[in-house]
Parts: sequence; structure tokens; C-alpha cells
Amino acid sequence: MNLIQQLVNAIWLGSVYSLFALGYALVFSVLGVLNLAHSAVFMWGAWIGLLVVTQLTLPLWIAVPAAMLGAGLISVALERTAFAPLRARGAPRISQLISSIGASFFLVNFAQLLFGTNPERFPIGLIPAEAIPNLPFRVTPIQVVILMVSVVLMALLNLLVARTRLGQRMRAVAFNQRTAGLLGVNVGAIYMITFFLAGALAGAAGVLYGLAFNQITPFIGDAIALKGLTVIVLGGLGNIQGALIGGFVVAALEVFSVAAGGSNYRDAIVFTLLFLILLVRPQGLVGQKEQTRA
Amino acid sequence: MKKWIWVFSLLALLTAPALVSAQMPTMESLIGADIRQTCPDPTNLPDTVTIGSLLTLTGGASVFGVSQQRGIQLAIAEINNSAFLGEGVTLEVIFEDSASDNNQAIAAMTKLVEEDRVIAVIGPTLSREAFSADPIAQDAGVVVLAVSNTANGITDMGDFIFRNSLPEASVIPGTVAGAVDQLGIRSAAIIYANDDDFTVSGANVFREAFEANGVTVVAEETYATGDVDFNAQLTNIIAQNPDALAISALAVEAVQIILQARAQGYQGVLMGGNGLNSPAVLQQTGADSEGLIVGAAWNIGSPNELSAAFKAAFENEYGNLPDQFAAQAYTGAWMIASAIRCADSTDSAAVRDALAALEMETPLGFFSFTEDRNPIHDPVVQVNRGGAFAVLGAE
Amino acid sequence: MDVLRSIGITEPVIQFMLVNALLGLSIYLTLYTGMFSLANAGFMAIGAFAGVILTQTFDLPLAVGIAGGAALAGVLAIPVGLPVLRLRDIYLAIATIGFGEVVRILILNFDPLVSGIIGQRVTITGGALGIKGIPKLTETWHLVGFLIAVCYLIDRLHRSRFGRAMAAIRQDEKVAANMGINVVYVKNVVFVLSALLAGAAGAFSGHLTRIISPDGFGFAQAVNILAFAVLGGGASYFGPILGAVVLTGLPEVLRPVREYRGVVNGLILMLVIVYLPGGLISFFPTRRSLQRLRRRLFAPRPAPPA
Repeated sequence: MNLIQQLVNAIWLGSVYSLFALGYALVFSVLGVLNLAHSAVFMWGAWIGLLVVTQLTLPLWIAVPAAMLGAGLISVALERTAFAPLRARGAPRISQLISSIGASFFLVNFAQLLFGTNPERFPIGLIPAEAIPNLPFRVTPIQVVILMVSVVLMALLNLLVARTRLGQRMRAVAFNQRTAGLLGVNVGAIYMITFFLAGALAGAAGVLYGLAFNQITPFIGDAIALKGLTVIVLGGLGNIQGALIGGFVVAALEVFSVAAGGSNYRDAIVFTLLFLILLVRPQGLVGQKEQTRA
Repeated sequence: MKKWIWVFSLLALLTAPALVSAQMPTMESLIGADIRQTCPDPTNLPDTVTIGSLLTLTGGASVFGVSQQRGIQLAIAEINNSAFLGEGVTLEVIFEDSASDNNQAIAAMTKLVEEDRVIAVIGPTLSREAFSADPIAQDAGVVVLAVSNTANGITDMGDFIFRNSLPEASVIPGTVAGAVDQLGIRSAAIIYANDDDFTVSGANVFREAFEANGVTVVAEETYATGDVDFNAQLTNIIAQNPDALAISALAVEAVQIILQARAQGYQGVLMGGNGLNSPAVLQQTGADSEGLIVGAAWNIGSPNELSAAFKAAFENEYGNLPDQFAAQAYTGAWMIASAIRCADSTDSAAVRDALAALEMETPLGFFSFTEDRNPIHDPVVQVNRGGAFAVLGAE
Repeated sequence: MDVLRSIGITEPVIQFMLVNALLGLSIYLTLYTGMFSLANAGFMAIGAFAGVILTQTFDLPLAVGIAGGAALAGVLAIPVGLPVLRLRDIYLAIATIGFGEVVRILILNFDPLVSGIIGQRVTITGGALGIKGIPKLTETWHLVGFLIAVCYLIDRLHRSRFGRAMAAIRQDEKVAANMGINVVYVKNVVFVLSALLAGAAGAFSGHLTRIISPDGFGFAQAVNILAFAVLGGGASYFGPILGAVVLTGLPEVLRPVREYRGVVNGLILMLVIVYLPGGLISFFPTRRSLQRLRRRLFAPRPAPPA
């Protein structure tokens, strides 16, 4: 009973981590750049969704696409201001990393100016909070929804990248920007589309996260940023299935180290294992061998 | 005819205060009224008296600092509107942000003490910032009044360092005793953040209080500040089936713990300390926190009329209910003003002496300082009844 | 001096600038060798706690605290560096972040851990609150002197065979190995040097802030340190010093803008990195980008169209 519940807890937490990490992984897969402002876009997505529901009093099914659109546009703006100029200059990737930190700092502080620091939540009763009855374990409807959404989004994203012409172009840009340009791919457009998709994913994740944890502040992205990083590295950088699997692995490590009575050392256990996995398999759990990137 | 004169003068006497209070917020006639009696109107103060306030106004802990800032701003408006420091004397506050960073707290305290030459500082928000920054004020002989520091040893830093915030050790034992008394708890579990001094010391006090009251602690779980998912810890706890779950957390995490504990089907008593004393906790948890017991330095539903007036003025000004951080900061600003009034001087040492000797009615209850500048006032044990805190056992 | 004070640069701020300059130099060394390590916050924590324990618990002078803090960080860098420096780029960055988090959590749980082993309750690192009431022993002249000495040593290092090996590894590790450079040796030595410097900076800073707690040495601090070096630029060791000075001073100088401080700070950080490539030179300068820069700077101006 207890073990089953912990397993459910792990799957649930894993789907939250994966959902957050998908957009992160997408940007990395195409640009080879860690976008540390991804967590800030995620936070903005949550706020947009919340404001659509509370201020515009629109139903939730509009709030999710609105948040995806809004966060997608913020993400595109981010690409144009924080990444594109650096890329055009051929600046090293580490500069892009720092630039994204500056952008994140700006977005979080700007949100604080606009929304204040008091935590807000979606109205009580907007979604049923009671556990689904007649199961041998406790799980709420929103938990099931988030799990399904993350798996479906991962599958769609995978299809998009692997099967469509757009995905083909994205991979071409990822492989070699200059060659792709010579082959007639509009590189700038691909970057913008990638960032839009990543932002939209972050927006959806933000709203679902806000629904699941009932608490939206300008700082919700900070806590999950490092987790997201761990997840995508563990899964294999830039690998979309990897983000999903990484999410579940990190969550399982966390939950079962707590279940085993080690809540004091939970994060140490996670990072030690990450450390060891990196040493043995730097390409991550799912990644292919050697793709050198900074 | 003589009778009429008597009636008229009586009417005039009765309406005069009413007229005055119609012009200005009603608050100042309550808080500080006793100080107006004991200390005469000051005569030696300059036109502008400047104090500082060092708070965490940006970053993750800013939810506390912003609330404190509002409490202080409300108090300052009342103090100035009521000419509490004498006609034509304005009390000015310079707010500085520490961004939850010790280095910035040091820089900001240096600025307030050396550049702005304030006579007193309210803050800092976090205990670790206090340990970094307060010695600067102490060395310069500037009064510091902490309004939210609860760590041990804050006032040991020197004779200019005061606090009005009751630590968990003054609050939790009464809470546990009250809960045991009312609800007959026999076993309990504790959950707390192990990387935050406030929650760690709260957990220690809970543990001791449970033992002292013959309650067995059947489970202890920890989490890291910033966590949002507590299901794994709660599953462990619920497996032990404790009568009560003590939550030593700050409001943000407490909300999640309460919601997730109930979603996992926990039926027992939930209880907490100062960290849970926020209207946000009740608003955001809805029916899940019905019966939640919170021991705290201040009760929003307190029958104390100063507290009621503060609550009304705060809600009127900002459109939301005050939390304990706002109440303690508001009280702190009034205490500093009262000390300045009684000292009738902007000399820090004189203000310190006046503050140490201060005895006044406040929204926190009747307040005075111990010999070592720690607060003396009665904590309250409250229980959530239908979405509002009421005094436990008073129903 | 008064001009500086009036814009918020008081003596404590200058001291933090100097400590951060040391941290910037510590990450500069590894970046200069082509290693993207983010372990500096962890080594800083080790240096801070070891240094403070030496001066407080054992009542030793500050110099011993600094040396001891630096030494412990340096010694611990050997077993960390040997396996981890095989990793490259972002993998190295993540592994070293992991190291930093493990250090932080071990410091947090150090007391119960040690108490459990020796069988009696002891207080060494103080758990979540850390160690408080540390006297402010660090003086500005200590930091200035130390920084000058470090700059001198780095300058010497750059001119040495070892320094050229560092640069060669950054440019191309395989070519460097073919040239007969012992890549593993050089990388590990640089990693230890970087840890020594971060440890010393930590010990200095512990005696400035009067309290050290594990939460001051987490991921955020690791990223801050990186920002000093990247924003400042890596063309010379002056870059990270400049970066540290600017990034430490900026929030203080910006105090007059009040609640817009955070927004403006973030915006400036972003604008500098994006639009001022010539001002603060970006890292890993390829030979070509340097040449391009040189051409742009020293090329004769094209004659204005008649």
C-alpha cells in the first residue's frame, strides 16, 4: 500500500518535471544552448493563465492556449533580444548562457513589479481536488491530467522533430546552422519557431503547475530551474524522450530516497547519482554518443 | 439655564473627539494613546526625524518584506497624521532592500547608518541578515528593532539591538499544550525544512513540547526550502497514522503541505507556529485547513481593539488582510515612534533607553521588553473555524 | 572616496568587490584552460567553513584560517577533479553543480552526521543557520594585497610553459595532447589552483559577513561567480576583476531607482552581454575573433565618401 502510493507519487512528480523540461530540452536540441530564462517563461505562463481566469473570467480551456500563446511570444522576444544578437556575432555559447540569466532576472523582477509578491491561486473548486475514489492509492484528477499531457506532448514533439519537414529543418539547423542556411533553410525563422514552441510548452506547463500546486508567485520558476537542468542532463541533453525519462528518474530518486527514510539527504542522493551517471555515461540515459556542446 | 450650559458642554466634549477622528483615520486615537498620556508632546525634535528600514523587498523572501513595508508605511502615515511627534514634526522612513542577500544587507545597513545617519532601523527581515548587518548599527550606536527575527542570540549582538517578534519557543509550547488539552492528541508527526533556521528551531521546539505533554513523535520528515511536492514525505507520515501533524514551515510551503496531506486522506489535526499565521494560508487551502491550529504572536481575530483597528486600517489601505509580518512591523514602527516621543530627542542612546523602558498597548497585546531586549507579550493559540482564525478553546 | 560613498560604494561594498574579484579569477583559471567548471561556490563554502572553524573554534589567526580554508578546498579538489575533469563542456558544468549541491547538503547535515559517528552531540557547522557571530577580521588591505599577489602569480603563470599549455588545451585538447602536453595533469593542477583561490575567497568572505550559512553557497552563487568572469571578459585576468566590481557595485548604485532596481539590474546585465562585445570581451576568444577585433580597432578608417 505504502510502496504503491510512493510509486504513484514518483510517477506524478516525474510528470511535473518532464512537463517542465520538455521546452528546455527542445531549445537545447536545436540551439545547443541552455536557456536559463526558461523557468521565467514558465512562471509568466502560469500568471497569464491565472489572469485569464481571474481577471477576464474566462474558462480554463481558454486559459491554457492563451498562456501558451503568451509564453510563446515572450519566448520569441527572448530569442530576438537575448540570443539572436549574440549568435549573429558568433559569440561563444557561454555568453548566451549568461545573457539568458540576465533575461531571467529581468523577467522575474518585472513580474514582481506587476503582480506583487503575494502568492495567488486559481479559484478553489475550479478543478476537483478530491482523490479519485475506489483506487488502492490516492491520486487526484489533475495529477492524472498532467501525466497524460506530458506524455502526449512528448510524443507530439517527438513526431514533430522526427517526422515533419519543420522538424527536418530544425534538425538541419541543429546539425550545422551555416550549412542549413546554404540549403535554403530560413535559419532565423527556425530559431523563432523553436523558441515559440518551447515557450508554449513552458506556458502550458506553467498553468498546469499552477493548477496542481495552487500557488503562483513570481518565484515559482526559481525552485524548479535546477531540477529541470538535472532532468535534461540525466535524460541526455537535447533529447526529447530523454527529458521525459530524466524527469521520471529524478522524481523516482527523490521519492524513494524519502521513502527509505533519507529525506535529509534526498538532494545529495540525487546529485551524487547524477554525478556518477555523468561519469559513466555522459551522453545521458538515452542520448547518443558524443555531441560536443557548451 | 445653568442646566443647558452643562448639557452643551457635555455634548461638545463628546463630539469633539468624534470630529477630530472624522478628519483623520481613527487608528491613532487608539494605539499610542497611552504613550500620549505618559510622555508629554516632544519639544526638541527637528522638523524631520529620519529612521531606516532594511527589508527583503525583492527575491524569494520578498513576500515577507513587502508585507512588513506596508505595515510600516501604514504606521508612519498614522503617526504623521496625528502629529504624534508634535506639530510640524514628520517621521520619515528610508526603505532599503536587502534582496535576501547578506552582503546587500551589510551594504544597505552601512548606507543607512553612515550616509543617511538614521537614528533607528527597523528590520532586517531574515535572521541571517540580522547577524550580518546588525553589528554595523551596534558599533555606530544606532538602534535596531527586529520585527521578524526569531533566531536565538539576535539581541545578544549588543545593547542597541531589540526585537518585538516572539520566537517559536515562546509560541509553540502553549499551542501543543492547548491542542493536547482540547483534542486529546497522543501521537504526532513533524514536517519541516531542514535548510532554514526558523523551521529547524520550530521543529525542535515542537519535539520538546510533544515530549513534555506525553505525546509520542512517530515520524519526522524534512524537505528543502522551495519544494512544492511533499507527497513522498506525507506518505511516510500517514503510514504511521499520527493523531496530529505539526508543520514547521513558512506560509508558502505550509499551504502545499496542508493541501497534499488532505488529498492523501489525512484526517488528523494539523498544527503550526508563527509561519502559518497568514490569511493566505487559510484563503489558499479552503476547507482543507478547517480546524488548523496555529500558535502565534498575533491573532487576526483578536478581540484587542487596537488589533481590530489595525486590521481595518490595513484592509482599507491595501485591499487585503494583514498577516503577522505586517502586524509586527506596524507595531515596531509605532514603538520606535513612541520611544522617540518619550526620549524627546534624536540621540540614538536616548531613544534606546526610552525603547527599553517602553510599556504600551499594541495590536500584539500589552508589550514590554525583557532585560535583554526580547519581547514580552502573550502569544495566542488560534484555530481555523470556517475560514477565519478564532482563539482556541474560546468557542 | 566621498564621491564613491555618495553613489552607494561604501567600504563593505569595496570589500565584497575584492572578494568577488578573487572568485572571478578562480573561475577564470578554469575557463582559460577550456574547462566549464561551476564548482567554485562549493569550494568557496569549504574554504569559508574551514577558515571560520580554524579562527573561531581553534582560536587561530586569520592568516591560518585563510591558508587552512584554501588548503582544504585545494586538497578536496584532487579527488573531485580526477574523475570529473574527463567530462567536457555542459556535462562538466552540471557535474560540478552537482558537486556544489552535495557540499552544501553535507555542510547542512554535518553535525548530526558527525554526532552519529562519534556518539555525542557536537556543533561544528551549525546546520541551517550556520556559524554566526564571526568577528570581522578581514581588512580591505588584506584583500588588496592578496589580490595583487594573485594577479602577479597569474601573470607569471601566463608567461610560463604551464600557462601556454593551459591556452593550448583551451584551443584544442587533442592537438595539445599531440604536442606532448600532459592534458590530465594540467587540467587537474588548474582545477586545484582554482579551488585554492575560491577557498581563500570563502575564508575571507566568512570574516566579512559575520555569519556563514550553507544557503549562501548554492546554485545561485555558482552562477553569480560565472557571471563575474563572463561579463568581465576573458581576454585577460583583468576581465573577471572588472566583472566582479561592476556586478557587485551595480545593485548598490541602483538603490535610488527603488522597486525598479531588480528590473534595471537584469536589463543592464543582458544589454552588456548582448550589445557590448568590445567593452567586455567575451570568453573563449578564437584567434579569428581577436584578429577581427584588432582589425576593427586599428584599421585605418575608410575615407568618407566625397
